[in-house]
Amino acid sequence: MTRRCTTCHEEDVLAWALGDPDADAARKLAERMAACPVCRERAVDYRILQRWAAGLRDGPVIRWRRFDSPFGAMRVAASPAGLVALSWQDENDDAFVGGLEDRYPSTPVVRDTDRLGPAEEQLTEYFGRRRPRFDLLVDFTELGDFQRAVLNAASGLAFGETVTYTDIARRIGRPKASRAVGNALGRNPVPIVVPCHRVVRTDRTLGGYTGGLRYKRALLDIEGRTDLLRSHGQTEMPLA
Amino acid sequence: MTTGTESAQWVRNWSERYGPELGRHVAAMVGNADEARDIVQDLWVTALRARPEAGDAVNIRAWLYRVATRRALDHLATHRRRSELLAARSGELEPGTFPAADAAPGRLSEAAAARVRKGVAALPRRQRDAVWLRWIEELDYATIARRMGASPEAARANVYQGMKKLRRDLAEVWREEGPI
Repeated sequence: MTRRCTTCHEEDVLAWALGDPDADAARKLAERMAACPVCRERAVDYRILQRWAAGLRDGPVIRWRRFDSPFGAMRVAASPAGLVALSWQDENDDAFVGGLEDRYPSTPVVRDTDRLGPAEEQLTEYFGRRRPRFDLLVDFTELGDFQRAVLNAASGLAFGETVTYTDIARRIGRPKASRAVGNALGRNPVPIVVPCHRVVRTDRTLGGYTGGLRYKRALLDIEGRTDLLRSHGQTEMPLA
Repeated sequence: MTTGTESAQWVRNWSERYGPELGRHVAAMVGNADEARDIVQDLWVTALRARPEAGDAVNIRAWLYRVATRRALDHLATHRRRSELLAARSGELEPGTFPAADAAPGRLSEAAAARVRKGVAALPRRQRDAVWLRWIEELDYATIARRMGASPEAARANVYQGMKKLRRDLAEVWREEGPI
């Protein structure tokens, strides 16, 4: 049973613990806490929480940010090790954060518009055709070995360069796995930055793109690959 | 650079002025005059190390109260921890109480840190944003509001709701699973 105190509010104790009141108000609150056993108990709780905070500061956390892009509202998230998500498919913030919460059930997912500035900046430059290369870290640690290998291989593709699903399969030493390569690319958590759109089919058709082929076309258009957008399968494409 | 004499003078100066009332304050918190005396003794060591620079516009009396109150709460938390462990051993653990504060900041065990982190992760989204930025990162409300994309009032309300919830949730964990 929680005892009820008629003269004090939990908010006051919490305010004290957070350091919100000015000096004199804080002193008066401290004196009141000294006199009230309920306040004192709460203050001990908050003091414990306060000391715990220090232990969490350097631990894992996922931070995210939203910004406008030619594809619509874009949301990007990062762990301390690098980007873990990039999406313009989510209907709203809750959908995006919900996806992250499912992937990281025991890590706080926190909105922080002051972080991830470089990601927004570089993506904006990319859409404006002013950035051929991203200078951003990507965190693949929670992915499976196969998907990590596929995404690593895709990460090596340069602006405007395309290869086929089979090429990627060969590069990771699984030459028969081009379908699985396609699936792994389709689940790329950080599209654009990890340029899965630069992987196309052997017959020069574009293959698939999670969220809609029109985005893949738009990205290849940004990169000057209009040759791939006009028609399919007429000539053999020189592949890097 | 400060000299030993200067430090001693600082302590003498403020302890003569505020020592007795701080002693009464701490005694009221911990309910024991002898323990209070020890706490206030130790307090001067901490206070000396963390003392505001001369010329800082700080209300020294209020600042000393803050330091003293924290020391008293730490003492109570440690004491509570001990009595809980004793009670637990005799099979009569009081529900609704918190574990261990005797661990110094940064000494939270990996398992305990994971539990607390999970508690934060489980808060409603806006509360979690606000609690993280205020409680963990210790930012001011104007900055928190900007980073959350909310008004300072909303940011503050979210911090308070989240912290209250966190306190209750972690008390629950403690009750169900024992000391973390």
